[in-house]
Amino acid sequence: MNRRPFVALLFSLPLITKGAAADEAQARLRGAIDEVLAVSDRVSSRSALATTVRPVLQRHISFETMTRRAVGLGWKQFNAAQQKKATDLFTTLVIRTYSSKFTPGERPVITYKTATAPAAGRVDVPTTLVYKGSHYAVTYRMEQISGWRIADVVIEGVSLIANYRSQLDSTFKQGGAEAVIRSLEQSVSRPS
Amino acid sequence: MKIILRLLLPVAALALVSCATPKKEVSTATAKAAVGTDALDDYETAIEVSDPIEPLNRATFALNDGLYKWVFTPIAKTYTTIFPKPVRKSIDNAYENVKFPVRFVNSGLQGKFDRAGKEAQKFGVNTVAGVAGLFKVSDKIESLKDVPAEDSGQTLAKWGMGHGPYIVIPVLGPSTGREVIGLAGDYALNPINWGFVFTGDADDWAWIPPTGNTIRSMPDQLDNYNESKANAIDPYTAVRSTYIQNRNSAASE
Repeated sequence: MNRRPFVALLFSLPLITKGAAADEAQARLRGAIDEVLAVSDRVSSRSALATTVRPVLQRHISFETMTRRAVGLGWKQFNAAQQKKATDLFTTLVIRTYSSKFTPGERPVITYKTATAPAAGRVDVPTTLVYKGSHYAVTYRMEQISGWRIADVVIEGVSLIANYRSQLDSTFKQGGAEAVIRSLEQSVSRPS
Repeated sequence: MKIILRLLLPVAALALVSCATPKKEVSTATAKAAVGTDALDDYETAIEVSDPIEPLNRATFALNDGLYKWVFTPIAKTYTTIFPKPVRKSIDNAYENVKFPVRFVNSGLQGKFDRAGKEAQKFGVNTVAGVAGLFKVSDKIESLKDVPAEDSGQTLAKWGMGHGPYIVIPVLGPSTGREVIGLAGDYALNPINWGFVFTGDADDWAWIPPTGNTIRSMPDQLDNYNESKANAIDPYTAVRSTYIQNRNSAASE
């Protein structure tokens, strides 16, 4: 019996699995983006978008993962209440950051490129986004956290998590969890 | 005064063109704590850059912030008020098309000859079919629409040069030791500066192209700058992180 096809199939299984994961994650991302665009079509202002889109984004984005990573090592020293508070504030900040770029009536054109699976349970979906005449390279980092969810967004090579970690890490070192929460509260209360 | 303006505007253009491009950064202390030691995150999201003159950099950052807000923003607003968006787009296209030698030479210096060839094709198509670069016809051609733009800073990175210290340059904004050298290379390779490069500032016409470039690039550059610091917890750190991450990403493409 010629075993070569069987052996070849065996070795290709991880690739097939990764490919399937990439397809699944990308399909989930497309669905999420379509849902967000449908919401943005219905609203007429940035502040309305931030409020309306929040529950939709919370379904598709793991804000807890984002906050944990944005804080970095210090996260382990947050108690449960502090973790929840920090996550709520960071969620508000992230949603406000992105909704502040929104202009009612303008619709982005998104082109999905080939997704890659850098590790088990992780898929990167590169896209190009054209919005108001400008081109942006946007990569969505998806992870299996109760299904495929967005864990980071990388715009023109700039990771949202890395950017906030650079700021929150030094804040934590200066004043611990309370200082991180205070700085997040200050950012959220500032007009965007 | 006129002479000062002539000298300042090309420099400002150079600086703005540099700072307007989204870039990335992170301080040494911050990054060392984050890289490789955090079991929560294996994405290597924190990028390291040395910031030995942080107090001076922060002071320059504050100075630039005021300059952008009180001087450059009104100029940019006046420009966007006078010229409608399609006209501004064509002006941008033409300046970017003329900058072809920067992208072409640096693609070649990095051994990316296929990319250099595509840059030459883009230049040809946009110059001829795009009416001297006013229309970016190459965006409609699949193989030419997504060619990553190379510059001298990326070439130095490809050759193995590290960032060196993080430096906030007056007027120009965030940079590093390597990127300062890269800026000088880009300046010399950009035909809009050749009037200055070859004739100094003696000829009246020489200041016009770089000044135009400074002004036309202000709105986008200021938008990028403002977005880097919007919703930031510490705007200085946020802009540094954005700058270093963006430059590292561009160098790796």
